Amino acid sequence: MSFLPAAGVVMILVAVGSYYATRSLHGFSAFSGANLLLGALLLAVGVVAQARRFRGFSGAESRRVVLRWSASLVGALALVVGVDVAARGWTSRIDLTLDHSYTLSEQTIALCQKLAQRGGEPIQLVFFEDALLAKDVRLLVAAYGDRCPAVETRDARRREPPQAARDLYTTTATTVIACRGDVCDPVGYPSERNITSAILRLSRERPVHVYFTVGHGEIDLASESDTGYAAVAATLRDQGMDPKALVSPAAPDVPEDADVLVIGAPERDFLPEELAVLERYLSRGGRLLVLADAGQHSNVYSELLPRWGFVLDDSVVLDQAASPLLKEATPVNLLVHLFAPYDPVTRNLSQRTMLLFPRARPVGLGRKPQPDDKLAQVAFASPRSWLSQNLARALAGGELQPPAGAQTGNIGVVATGRFPRGTGEPPAEARIVVIGDRDFAQNRLLEALYNRDLLLNAVRWLGNDEQAIALTDKGWTPNQDPLTLQQTVAYFYFLAFALPETLLLLGIYAWWRQRA
Amino acid sequence: MIRRLWALSRKELRQLFASPIAYVVLTVYVALTGIYFFQHLVSYNQLLFVYQSEGLTAGGFDQGTVPSQINVLNEVFVPSADDFGLFLLVVLPLVTMRVFAEERANGTDELLLTCGLRPYEVALAKHGVTYFFVLLLLLGSAIYPAVVVLRAGLGLEHLVALYSGQLLYGCAVASLGLACSSFTSSQIVAAVLGYAIPFVLLDFAWLSNTVSESVAAVLREVALLSHYGSFARGVIELRHVVYFAGIAGLGWLASVASLELARAR
Repeated sequence: MSFLPAAGVVMILVAVGSYYATRSLHGFSAFSGANLLLGALLLAVGVVAQARRFRGFSGAESRRVVLRWSASLVGALALVVGVDVAARGWTSRIDLTLDHSYTLSEQTIALCQKLAQRGGEPIQLVFFEDALLAKDVRLLVAAYGDRCPAVETRDARRREPPQAARDLYTTTATTVIACRGDVCDPVGYPSERNITSAILRLSRERPVHVYFTVGHGEIDLASESDTGYAAVAATLRDQGMDPKALVSPAAPDVPEDADVLVIGAPERDFLPEELAVLERYLSRGGRLLVLADAGQHSNVYSELLPRWGFVLDDSVVLDQAASPLLKEATPVNLLVHLFAPYDPVTRNLSQRTMLLFPRARPVGLGRKPQPDDKLAQVAFASPRSWLSQNLARALAGGELQPPAGAQTGNIGVVATGRFPRGTGEPPAEARIVVIGDRDFAQNRLLEALYNRDLLLNAVRWLGNDEQAIALTDKGWTPNQDPLTLQQTVAYFYFLAFALPETLLLLGIYAWWRQRA
Repeated sequence: MIRRLWALSRKELRQLFASPIAYVVLTVYVALTGIYFFQHLVSYNQLLFVYQSEGLTAGGFDQGTVPSQINVLNEVFVPSADDFGLFLLVVLPLVTMRVFAEERANGTDELLLTCGLRPYEVALAKHGVTYFFVLLLLLGSAIYPAVVVLRAGLGLEHLVALYSGQLLYGCAVASLGLACSSFTSSQIVAAVLGYAIPFVLLDFAWLSNTVSESVAAVLREVALLSHYGSFARGVIELRHVVYFAGIAGLGWLASVASLELARAR
């Protein structure tokens, strides 16, 4: 009769095996179901038939042993299942990944705490278990659930997601959708940066309005080419900001709702009336971001900025520590790695988190307009940098060493200024950030190194939005080319052939000794 | 007690390595893991070649740039860890099937239980030696991943997480196999049950459409696979450690119960 349970087990195995083999076609098939039912039946009949063997336990003591151990086993099984189900909520984990991929960064935690203090409707992260990247993201989403009191995580398989989330879940490429009430926002590639950005977008009471001046050869936010700046607009929108164009010759004033005004590397002069508008805007506590670039001429650099204490020489910064990331690794492509550590614009930037600045212009400091104003250089080229007046020669790669008498060392390329103005309570404070490069924000370079962080930090500081300091995807990537094909094959011969061969020979020796 | 356990463990070790089955299992496991790891590495190298070729910019800021998502962790380690888990499921019952069943078939279990050893000590020694064998299996298969971890700069901590998971998972599977072996005198039956139970426990996705959502949720928590994945990603979660330790403990308790029943009979 021991054939029956064995046959039952085999049929159950066939049922499960056939399910795994064909589940992508039609889930649980009739064949699998029939095998499962019949197998379970045979197993039950076999177990009942085998039960008569228990007649061997004839004495009272034997029966007590059987009862005690049967009860212990059932109790232990129930305990293990119970603890396991209860442990679903346990959040203790050790993240041993080198870059702590599944541990939320300080920026995200700070944002979560701010949201929790503010109260209001919580944000839901709806997680789709059957999405393509679900396995990669599950731990990260769980980390939000554990560490973010203002964020609820919801597994769409276990709890019905909001209708808006269901509508947005059109392909399995979407893994996480963030919702607040009836408003939902799909997260693109489900990294911490993108999930936190979605939380930020949904938690904003009003968008930060960022106006870009146009009409003087400024950067083109609509251009999708490598050297265009559409990525700037997309990045700002991703953060819940609202980038808009300001046709300044036609505007009598900077709009009231402007949180930040950006002058993106103008190549022509502003009209005197436009400069007057900018002066008025700043005098009432306006916020201005200026992107400059080597070789450009505009009265923004020569008139407006000097009045507010910034000096932009008509020269280019060259550095022997040029970036090897671009094909043209000439001194004109700077790697900026020296920063003022406590300034909000360069927060989180360090020697390990650098910027790539091609064709940068020096940004120096002059006289402060008023005694209470605060001016500071916050990012510098390396001590081996120097200034060149001959941009054409530098761009052609003709200047590889500093010429005799050139100004060298720690040349500022980003500067900030705070200008308390007015008598209100609290007093209005104009803020200006001048970045001596525009190319760093091009479509092809905005995501390079930590360029995006600088741009977002600057806009956020200017827009009083410091709660959402820049969050970059974890910077570390494993060495993408650890073994050459030759090394791979060499290890393969050792591990797939030589080592198993040795073990097998040992086995034959053991068998031979046993026989002997 | 320690001396008794040590003596019994030495005897078990001698018995294990006196038979060719341990070497065959080691050979099969090391060869399988080596071949599959190699396959993943070769596929990864091919992928790198495609991305690094001149004609493809792949979204980078210069030609030939490889996206950061294409890395040795995602392309080699995570899929390899899934394979390694399945291979453990395949080879371990071959080792566990004989541990108790052979003693029972030869009648030496009675000898063991009447020479002053308590059933839980016998079970502890046999389980301990089998876990040690699991460790040996994993060490044999760890050479390739360790080389890649060091060369890729993943950090040894990641390797520790990966192999902690494999060890816990292997011990849990081995423990189930040992429990099956302890209830029968037939090594074939022990092997079939040793395959059947972990295989059924592996994943209850096949039942999820036929049971209610709450039952499916419980089944998901009971399934082996749902506790295994995070280790390969470098994260050790307490609840998974508790789960595997619970399964191993349950297997040990079942072995003790079986020995107690044999003694009572």
